[in-house]
Amino acid sequence: MFPFEFEPATIFYLFLYGATLVLHVLPMNYVLAGSTYLAGIALWELARGPSLAQRPLVELLRDWMPFALGVTITAAVAPLLFLQVLYQRPFYTANLLLFHRWMAILPVLIVAFYLLYLQKSHGWHKFAPWVRACVSTGILGCFAFVAWSWTENHLLSTRPLEVWKQVYASSDWFYHDPELMPRLAVWYVGAFPVLAAAMLWQLWWGGQFGTTTAVTIGNLAQPDHSPLAPTLRSLCILAFVGLAGSVVAGLGYFLFLDEPVRARLISSRAWPYLGVASVGLLGQAWLWRYVWKSGCVCGGTIASLAGAIVMAVGAATGLREMRRTATVDLAAYLEQHTAATKIGGIGVFLVFAVVCTGGITAVVLAVRRGLAAGNSPK
Amino acid sequence: MDFPFYPSNDFGPLMKGMVIGGVGILHVFLAQFAIGGGILLCVFQWLAMTGRSKLAREFVDGYFRWVVLISFVLGALTGVSIWLTTIQISPRTIGLMVQEFHWLWATEWTFFCLEVASGYAFYRYGKVLPDRTRLGLRMSYSIASWMSLFWINGILSWQLTPAGWLEHRTVWSGFFNPSFWPSLLFRTITALAEAGLFACLIINLATNWTREQKQTMLHRAFYFLAPMALMPLVGAWYFAVVPDDSRRWVMGESVAMTMFMTLGVGASMLIGAYAVVMLVNRRNFINAMTSLVLIVLAVGATAGGEFVREGMRKPYTVRNVLYSNSITEADAAEMRCNGGAARDPYPLKNEASIPNEQLRLGAKVYRMQCSICHTEEGANGLLGLVRTWTPSQVRLNIAQLQRTKPFMPPFAGTAAELEALVQWLAWREAGNPTDWEVSAEPEVLKTIQGHLDEVGTVSGIALMQQNEAAARIRHQDERNQKGSR
Ligand code: HEC
Ligand code: HEM
Repeated sequence: MFPFEFEPATIFYLFLYGATLVLHVLPMNYVLAGSTYLAGIALWELARGPSLAQRPLVELLRDWMPFALGVTITAAVAPLLFLQVLYQRPFYTANLLLFHRWMAILPVLIVAFYLLYLQKSHGWHKFAPWVRACVSTGILGCFAFVAWSWTENHLLSTRPLEVWKQVYASSDWFYHDPELMPRLAVWYVGAFPVLAAAMLWQLWWGGQFGTTTAVTIGNLAQPDHSPLAPTLRSLCILAFVGLAGSVVAGLGYFLFLDEPVRARLISSRAWPYLGVASVGLLGQAWLWRYVWKSGCVCGGTIASLAGAIVMAVGAATGLREMRRTATVDLAAYLEQHTAATKIGGIGVFLVFAVVCTGGITAVVLAVRRGLAAGNSPK
Repeated sequence: MDFPFYPSNDFGPLMKGMVIGGVGILHVFLAQFAIGGGILLCVFQWLAMTGRSKLAREFVDGYFRWVVLISFVLGALTGVSIWLTTIQISPRTIGLMVQEFHWLWATEWTFFCLEVASGYAFYRYGKVLPDRTRLGLRMSYSIASWMSLFWINGILSWQLTPAGWLEHRTVWSGFFNPSFWPSLLFRTITALAEAGLFACLIINLATNWTREQKQTMLHRAFYFLAPMALMPLVGAWYFAVVPDDSRRWVMGESVAMTMFMTLGVGASMLIGAYAVVMLVNRRNFINAMTSLVLIVLAVGATAGGEFVREGMRKPYTVRNVLYSNSITEADAAEMRCNGGAARDPYPLKNEASIPNEQLRLGAKVYRMQCSICHTEEGANGLLGLVRTWTPSQVRLNIAQLQRTKPFMPPFAGTAAELEALVQWLAWREAGNPTDWEVSAEPEVLKTIQGHLDEVGTVSGIALMQQNEAAARIRHQDERNQKGSR
């Protein structure tokens, strides 16, 4: 089974890389799919006028997107670090080859950040619909650009020296790769189920379903009997479409892969990942169906959804690494990995990882307690 | 040997050092504001809670909005920018840093996470939280942001003074290097001063305060500039621990470096002088415009400081380990035998427009060894520097590059590669004619080889030290002889 064909040092960093990459992917999904949702609604409202049914989700997203972007970027630092221990040369080479195009993700993210704050501002709904549509689609454009750049960079890093030489000599701004669009589609479509689950959790945690720990509003297919029904229905649809789309996009991408890579991804070494991914996807589908049928949301539903998502995203991360190691000779960098394991500091890291996780938990608890006390300063 | 060749990019008229310097200054300035701002907010929160200042409460929320909008967004992203820019400029350097310090970097990351969590919690809920929680969040934010400085400071100061690490190769001998404490202190003082200056600007922007109220608050903010009094001392400490040669360049031997040093010191002194004026007389007032001017001076001081810090390392990016052009001393020795640029697998971008193979090789030599610090015709342009020299002067000075200027690394290549570079320079100077004769005089190559062998591949700094030691011994001998006579 992948990655056990590698030496322990390599496996160790692969594990750290994969685990921290999941931390990046989850909020990144929220940002990517969330900005699409907001842009979609803004365009809809431009054409058809206010869409009040979508307001609760729009407000939620408007409010939380800047934070989600902050988390996406912050969480990305750790995989960025371990990536450089693992794949230093291919990663740096791809960075250098894309040059200005690559560096452009940074100003683009800065622009996106400020646009998100604009979108979050109090007067947002007072802006003309076309202004809102421009801002929201602008934000989506920024994130789509960043996602595309990461995918482009990733694919370029998996190519051999011959390709690198051509790209260098051509001075092209863009690197064209047959895998690019199908791969990006997987990321993009796969983001929606994560967004749906995250929003469900936010509504529940934020007490939007009332103060009870569980709500049951009955079959969502029935005509509205609760003001919550339209919101829940939107989330279910988002999730169903996203899940079905992910499967289609995944299969589509598979067809674009080179034959040896394909063989690797369906070999017995990949089965555990394919199995876990299937369970994760089916589990999510089943849970959303349950929400749809019963209109019931409780801590258990959300925890199970989270579990299923982590399974799906985690397994996808594993498969992603199998795809990469099919064309990048990771074992060639073993010396570097082994040297890295001999370097001190891991104890300090573990200690502070615990301390800071404790700190973050304390922050969350303190805020909850403070809010519950409803104790506002004069 | 497996030398890591990377595709090298051309920044046109900009020196690569200027690019990284520019991004660095922006980031350092913003990050210091965030760190100092966090501490300032703790103090003001405390002033508010203990009833020492009623205005402080109004101030903290307004000020924090700025800290968030600036530091969360620009601070975080310019941080990533530095990382990615360093990859663009010198992948091997950042690679070595990541390799040696990845756990400490990962530790820094845990503090980023805490910083974002506490900062955002305050930003979002601060207004409705009880005072104790507010203070708790502030403290957690400040500690986290200062800790991120703590960790990164060790890694950056290691580049200039790796001292103990060269011997022991342990992460802590590298981290707690000789310049660690003085630079940590220096940066902390700077962060506090910056936060104070921003506070002045924001206090002035408050619309609902009277002049008296503003004055009270301005004076409180100016206390944050008081630690600047320690700057000369900490600065002296820093310069006492950096290598001799680095200190001498900054203190006059290199015009550009001395200029930046003067800029840094001068701007800091002006700010310091203003702080004294404000602190001695409680009736003094500072308006928005002056605050802004002082902030601009602080940017100037940061710029000077960062350029000095970056420039002082020359010819190394990691002292005694890796030269600025990503070649190690061992690589240089090896390339003298087996060639360097000739093995570079990446083609030239304008290969077709270069008339012969030798010139192409020359262009590759320039790209690999010189382009990190020179441009062709822009900043520190190589063509301009050698314009008045005869070909034999060019050959000699490049062959003994570390002797020409000790802040250049030794030439890393064969005599043939050097001659190719000389031809390429001449061809570029001649305006890129379509015909160019290959220079294949065995005599010329022999002369070059002689120049190369004369100094070998030791660094210019080692050469200087050898010369100085020799001079001392000579001096001693002369004295002894005089004495015995
Ligand atoms: C570590 C950075 C660095 C590298 C690498 C470097 N140089 Fe320099 N070089 C400098 C600096 C700084 C100067 C000083 C310019 C000045 O005095 O204005 C300089 C000056 C020169 C001069 C003029 C010296 C004089 O006495 O006027 C020449 C010629 C020169 N470099 C050639 C080269 C060549 C050829 C290479 C590549 C083989 C190279 N340099 C690599 C930093 C570097
Ligand atoms: C909203 C902004 C962002 C989006 C939408 C985004 C999107 C993505 C996507 C789609 C991938 C997968 C690429 C692939 O496998 O094809 C990815 C990977 C990654 N991202 Fe992000 N990203 C964002 C911001 C960032 C930032 C700011 C950083 C750096 C601090 C970062 C670090 C990474 C890393 C290290 C990887 C793994 C790359 C690899 O293994 O080759 N991301 N990101």
